[in-house]
Amino acid sequence: MAERALSDILEEAFVRCRDLDAPLADRLKAFANEVQRAAPNLMASVDALVSRLKESDAGATAPKVGEPMPIFLLSDEQGRLVRLDDLLREGPVAIAFHRGQWCPYCRINIDALARAQEEVAAEHRRIVAIVPDRQKFAAWLKSDAKAAFPVLTDIDNGYAMSLGLAICVGDEMKHMMAKSGSDPSLSQGVDNWMLPIPATFIVGTDGVVQARFIDPDYRVRMAVEDMIAALRSAS
Amino acid sequence: MVGRDLTAEASECLTLFAPQTEQALVDPKRAAERTMEMHQIRYFLAVSETLNLTRAAERCNVAQPSLTRAIKALELELGGELLRRERALSHLTELGQRVLPMLRQSYETALSAKMVATSIKKGETAPLSLALSQTVALELFAPMLRELSRLFPGLQLKVYRGSSSEVAEYLKLGTAELAIAGALDDTWSRVDAFPLFEEPLDLVVGRTHRLATKSLAEFKDLASETVLVNGGCEMDAAIKARLSANGIFATGAHQVATREDLLALLKANLGVAIIPVGALEAMSYCRIPLRDLDLVRKVSVYAVAGRQRAMACATLLNMLRAADWDFETAERRRSTQ
Repeated sequence: MAERALSDILEEAFVRCRDLDAPLADRLKAFANEVQRAAPNLMASVDALVSRLKESDAGATAPKVGEPMPIFLLSDEQGRLVRLDDLLREGPVAIAFHRGQWCPYCRINIDALARAQEEVAAEHRRIVAIVPDRQKFAAWLKSDAKAAFPVLTDIDNGYAMSLGLAICVGDEMKHMMAKSGSDPSLSQGVDNWMLPIPATFIVGTDGVVQARFIDPDYRVRMAVEDMIAALRSAS
Repeated sequence: MVGRDLTAEASECLTLFAPQTEQALVDPKRAAERTMEMHQIRYFLAVSETLNLTRAAERCNVAQPSLTRAIKALELELGGELLRRERALSHLTELGQRVLPMLRQSYETALSAKMVATSIKKGETAPLSLALSQTVALELFAPMLRELSRLFPGLQLKVYRGSSSEVAEYLKLGTAELAIAGALDDTWSRVDAFPLFEEPLDLVVGRTHRLATKSLAEFKDLASETVLVNGGCEMDAAIKARLSANGIFATGAHQVATREDLLALLKANLGVAIIPVGALEAMSYCRIPLRDLDLVRKVSVYAVAGRQRAMACATLLNMLRAADWDFETAERRRSTQ
């Protein structure tokens, strides 16, 4: 029963933080603070995981600014195939990796992207989100945030892994996540507890990375203002 | 397209990843990397196949210390030892055995992700061979195949049909790149099964059949009926077992070998049948739940592990695995559109 309560507490906290009228960073921080209060043990495990990842320079091999972004071919939440090079023909693209439909930080992040989508679209720029979740869950994530941009499925984190952005969740963290009601195996359809680092790449029409944000601390995401500015200056 | 072994093409794979791999090896900091790097997994897969570090290093075309370092990094990431090193042979630890299938699967998907990055040339053909069990409706996959042909204008489909053992054989021989069927009796260790959906089995009769107006049927309603059986269906034995357990003996049954023939006989009111009901045209048949029938068919897509997948095949496999197979949700969605 106590375990159920924690996931309920976190869901309520999520709704409060999602609905804040504040920059993304503040909303994420507000949620992290609520988790800290409700589940200090969980937060301690997250801190340990993040510091291990940071120490090891996780994500360092991912495409850098000035390097070409490898093309992806992934299906969207309705089963339509989307290729990065097709998108780039219409303008610069922001590619935002997310961990999944079960992750409150990702839901807040997608919500923030959705709030900015009209401004982005008005300038002939595009956003795509990538999750390891299957279509049903990708569709849920999209409608949850009223997003107009596609939410693409990266089965087995294959594309993320090819970029050096896939991590394995250790046993301790697995246990903690299950306790807080987060189980990526259901939405991914595979039980390997692999997740992407939620990185963001801004890619110009020439296929070259113009800006990127990679932080193995999944509680911290690229500021939406920075993403818009990078999209605006990309050509 | 006949599948080729990845292992036999180690050098080809290496060319594909050489720049990243070399860079990773010269930088000592990278050795402690905690993201799953593809080269680390590739080295581990080579060790699992050769059980010998020297031979694995040779196969991957790297120096042995580099290979050992990469596997150590993987061990750090996975939180335990993967190999027990003995003099000549290395053995996989219990953890190593446990993570091997998932690492191999993720590696292969990542390899496919790299492959689809190459652009499709104009006029390039994209052969794709599928083996379907006799009774799996191709209509279920039509939306995906249509989408695939939009991206691959040179798509050349080959669809094979067979019993569950024939389907397994097509897959083994490389005649088919993917198989879609219920449970395969033949469990070859190199076949990966990816479960797609569960299809319920119901009683099906023609629209003008005397049972057609029923909302729920009982086994005893079948006592005076001619039952149609399809020897090509994976569920055939299970269906017959349920029938006889309920006092219905299919001895006087009509026998067919394909779903198409079975449906034709149903339409002509020549009998009734218990079949998996996915993609049944509601216009021509009546589907009636049968009390106490708890059979479902678990349909999976099967692929051979370690065999290089062509672009169309890799893309379709991911589409099938990502798809929303919840028939009721899908039907609801269609009806509300």
